[in-house]
Amino acid sequence: MVSNYEYQDPTPSERLNPKQLRMLTFRSLLLQASFNYERMQAAGWLYSILPGLRQAHKNKKDLSKAMKDHMEFFNTHPFLVTFIMGIILAMEQNKEDREAIRGIKVATMGPLGGIGDALFFLTLLPITASIGASLAIEGNILGPIIFVVMFNIIHFGTRFGLMKFGYEAGVSAIAKLKESTQQISRAASIVGLTVVGGLIATYVAFNIDYVWVSGDAELDIQSEVLDAIMPGLLPIAYTLLVYWLLKKGRSPLVLIGLTVVVGLLGSFLGIM
Amino acid sequence: MLMEAILIALWAGIIGIDLYVGLTHIHRPVVSGLVVGLILGDVTTGLIVGGTLELIWMGMVPLAGAQPPNVVIGGVIGTAFGILSGQDPNVAVGVAIPFAVAVQALITLFFTAFSPVMHKADEYALDANYRGIERINYLGVTILFVFNALIAFLPIYFGASQAATIVETIPEWIIDGLGIAGGILPAIGFAMLLKIMLKKEYVMFMIVGFVLAAYLNMPILAIALIGLSIALYDFYKSKQDPPAPREEEITDGI
Repeated sequence: MVSNYEYQDPTPSERLNPKQLRMLTFRSLLLQASFNYERMQAAGWLYSILPGLRQAHKNKKDLSKAMKDHMEFFNTHPFLVTFIMGIILAMEQNKEDREAIRGIKVATMGPLGGIGDALFFLTLLPITASIGASLAIEGNILGPIIFVVMFNIIHFGTRFGLMKFGYEAGVSAIAKLKESTQQISRAASIVGLTVVGGLIATYVAFNIDYVWVSGDAELDIQSEVLDAIMPGLLPIAYTLLVYWLLKKGRSPLVLIGLTVVVGLLGSFLGIM
Repeated sequence: MLMEAILIALWAGIIGIDLYVGLTHIHRPVVSGLVVGLILGDVTTGLIVGGTLELIWMGMVPLAGAQPPNVVIGGVIGTAFGILSGQDPNVAVGVAIPFAVAVQALITLFFTAFSPVMHKADEYALDANYRGIERINYLGVTILFVFNALIAFLPIYFGASQAATIVETIPEWIIDGLGIAGGILPAIGFAMLLKIMLKKEYVMFMIVGFVLAAYLNMPILAIALIGLSIALYDFYKSKQDPPAPREEEITDGI
C-alpha cells in the first residue's frame, strides 16, 4: 500500500521562490513537445517540472527515482497543467511518499483535462475566434489581433495564476496532512483508480460500425448488440487485453503497432 | 514564388509548433490569413479567406486526444490558394480540407513513431540525466517545425490545386483507419497506468468509475468527486479504527 522506496535524503528541501515558479510556468509551454501515443505528455511533463525536481532532490538516487516515476503516462489539459505542477512540486520538496505523489497526479489530471476542454476549447476559443473571424471577413486587420490578444490574456493569466495557487495549496495542505502518509497514499490511489475507470469509458473510442442484414431484418452490431451487453464494452475489453499483455511482458510499442493494424483493418473491412 | 513559398513554409513551421507547444493560438486560420496575406501582398483577401476558414474550423478542436483535420496546414494552404487563384473562399476550403485530413493522418503516424523515443527517455531518467530529457523535448519541437514547413512549402511551390488532386488519390480507408486507431490508442496509456497502480483491493474503485462513465455518462469531474467521497470516507474510517488490526492488514497487502 505504501511504496517501498525510502528516500536517501528525507529532509524537506527549500521552497521555490516566485521567480522559479514563473520559470516553471514558461517551461510548461513545452508540455506536448514530445507527445506520443505511448506516454502522451509524460516526457514534456517531466521537462516542465525538472528544475523544481532537481531542487527538491539533491541526492542523485532520489532524483533518478523521481524522474523515472514522472516518465509514466501523463495527459491533462495543457493550460491547467501548472496547477498539478504546483501541487506535485510541493509534495516532492516535502519528500512525500512516492505512491501518494503518483496518486495525486493521476487523480487530478483526468478532471482537469475535462474542465480545460470545456473552458478553453469549447468556450474561450469559439468566443474569441468568432469575434476575430467576423472582423476579418469584413477585411478588418484588427480581427486577428484582437483574437490573439484576448485569447492569450486569459491563457497566460490562467497558467501563471494556477501555478502559484497550486503550489501554495500544495504546501499548506501537506503541512496539515503530514502525519498520515499511509492513509493519504491509499486515498489518492482510490480517487486515481476511480478516475482511470471513468477515463477508459470516456476517452477510448472503439466502436463497431456494421449493420448485419438478413432479408428484412437489420441488426446494428454496436447499438443493438454490444451496447445492450454493456456500454463501453469494447474500450474496457481492449484496455484489459492490453493490460494483460503488458503484464506478460509485451512491449508497449508492439501494442501500439497492433492497435494501428486493428484500426487499418477495421477501416479496410468497413466494420469500424 | 520561391521566396514567398519559403516565407510561408517558415510561418507554417512556427505555427505547426504552436499547435502543440505554446498554444498561443497564432496557428488559427484567422491569424494565418493575415500573415499569409502579408507575405503574398494581398492582406484583404488573406483576412477574408482566413476568417472564412476560421469559422469552418471553429468546431474542430482537439478534444480528448481525437484529432480534427489539421488546422495549421488547412489554414496556410487554404489562404495561399485563395489569394493565388483568386477563387471564392469556399473553393479554397475545398482545396484546404484534403490536405488538412491527410496531414492529420501523418501526425497520428508521427505520434506513434515517437513512442520508442520514450524508452530512451526512461534511460535518461534512470541516470538522472536531465539534459537528455530536455534534448528529447527539443527534438520533438524540431520535428514539428520541419514537418509543417515542408508540407506547406511543397504544394505552394508546385501549385496547390495539382497537389490537392494527388492527395485525394490516397485511399480513404488508410486515412480513416489511422483516425480509428488514434481513437483506440489512449487504451494503451490507461493500461500502462493500471499496470503501475492497480492492486486487488483497488479493483472495485475502477469498476465504480467505469460504470459511472459508461452507463450514466457522468463527466470525469463528477466521477473524481465520487472517488474523493469514497476516499474521504475510507480515510476517516481508518483513522478511527484501532491501529493493531490495521497494521496486520497492511502487511498482508504488501
